[in-house]
Amino acid sequence: MLKYFLPAKLLLVGMLLMAMSSTAWAQRTITFASDCTWPPMEMINEDRECVGFGPDLVNAMARAGGFEAVIRNTAWDGIFAGLAAGRYDAISSSVSITEERRRAMDFSDPYFEVKQGVVVRQDSDIQSEADLAGKTIGAQIGTTGYFTAMRIAGNNAKSYDEVGLAITDLANGRLDAVFADDAVAADFALTNPDFSQNLTLAFLIEPDEPEYLGFAVQKGDTETLELINSALAAVKASSEYDQIFKKWFGGE
Amino acid sequence: MAEKHVVIDVGDGAALPRKRDRGLFNAWWIALIGALSIITYLCITRPDPYWRVLKFLPDGILVTFQVTILSILLALVLGLFTGLGRISKNRVINLIASTYVEVVRGIPLLVQLFYIYFALGQVFANLPDSNALFIFLKNMPPLVAAVIAMGICYGAYMGEVFRAGIESIDHGQTEAARSLGFSRTQTMFYVILPQAWRTILPPVGNEFIALLKDSSLVSILAVSDILRRGREFASVTFNYFETYTMVALVYLVITLLLSKVVSTMEERLNYYERR
Repeated sequence: MLKYFLPAKLLLVGMLLMAMSSTAWAQRTITFASDCTWPPMEMINEDRECVGFGPDLVNAMARAGGFEAVIRNTAWDGIFAGLAAGRYDAISSSVSITEERRRAMDFSDPYFEVKQGVVVRQDSDIQSEADLAGKTIGAQIGTTGYFTAMRIAGNNAKSYDEVGLAITDLANGRLDAVFADDAVAADFALTNPDFSQNLTLAFLIEPDEPEYLGFAVQKGDTETLELINSALAAVKASSEYDQIFKKWFGGE
Repeated sequence: MAEKHVVIDVGDGAALPRKRDRGLFNAWWIALIGALSIITYLCITRPDPYWRVLKFLPDGILVTFQVTILSILLALVLGLFTGLGRISKNRVINLIASTYVEVVRGIPLLVQLFYIYFALGQVFANLPDSNALFIFLKNMPPLVAAVIAMGICYGAYMGEVFRAGIESIDHGQTEAARSLGFSRTQTMFYVILPQAWRTILPPVGNEFIALLKDSSLVSILAVSDILRRGREFASVTFNYFETYTMVALVYLVITLLLSKVVSTMEERLNYYERR
């Protein structure tokens, strides 16, 4: 009797193993929202793919953490509303970790440090924070750059849907300065062929406390957060983080 | 007086309430009182964030009105000339006016705003400081750019309203005026337009309300209108539901009040037409 059952049992065990391995195969997919108008952190290349430091880091993390990462290009204004509504699992969009945002969502460990860069026209006489008094300052809506602009310029702070539009208005003479994360400010003012001719990065604003970028997840979504944090730690510990950094920022 | 009865149906403005139209009249009151009481209720029961949102909006409301009123004035002037051009016997003028209408009506307002503000802005920025016009174009504030873009767009629609209004006046009027020795221009301004005005006003009122709603599009130009102020508030506080509820209600109250103003004006103008 037993002889007859043995193959059946083996078959069962085999099926069980296959089922287990197939659940291992079906990796967890984490969907990241990115506003790809933030070069060189997140931007659209000519093949309409979202590339930059952020996507490279996310993809490296996906390999290290054993999950599948999908990056969805999402307009910045409303990106947090989409997270709260559960349209994606996380935000990878150079989001600075702030107290206000911490109240509405949870953040991963920091993955990058930024300061606010001040972009001006080359013929401008703005050289320090004191020179900004009474000037019109533009920044992308809902960014720490815009919050800084509001703090310094009050009603003279203008918000734009994309930082590129603010930069265009600065180049066209409608603004006196634009605030953005230093990496982005440097990209527009120093390396962008359209703007480096007449714009420059004047100086960086010294923050009261250091400003870090993190990945945002829904409040209480510890499962995704742990996955992201352990993958981030693995990428940071390997040489991959430095390679990605070097790829987008050169130098050290 | 043999007057053709013409109904011009253009634009997507709020329906104008009329006394004889009781259903609509009631709907108007329900919407207005409903909107006002919801605003009041929300601000009293949950001042944070509703009252905070409302306090954040006033200068945006002012900007929305500025944009709307300046744009409609520009659109009226452009529309009058376009309407006259469209019925002109002069083929060149007629062609210019018709082409303007065709081009503008074929391009979405949002694209026109981007075009005038950012695309032409780039051209203007490279102009030399040689004369006053160039200097004005170079330093055009966002509000002016928005008004020009909205005015040009609505001018084309307004042109059609004027044309239809003028064509609604019986041709016998023109013949009579001409036979009495009026010139073509005099006929137009002393005989035709004063009568056409009554046909033109309701759709103009509708366009005005439609323009006020479309003015929310200028929020992409860093013009701080109601919607922009709301978005700025939401981007800091993440209170999307509360903010956009308030923004929607504020727009609703404004358009409801304006539609009342327009319908009252229309009634006054049609006083002698009552039967």
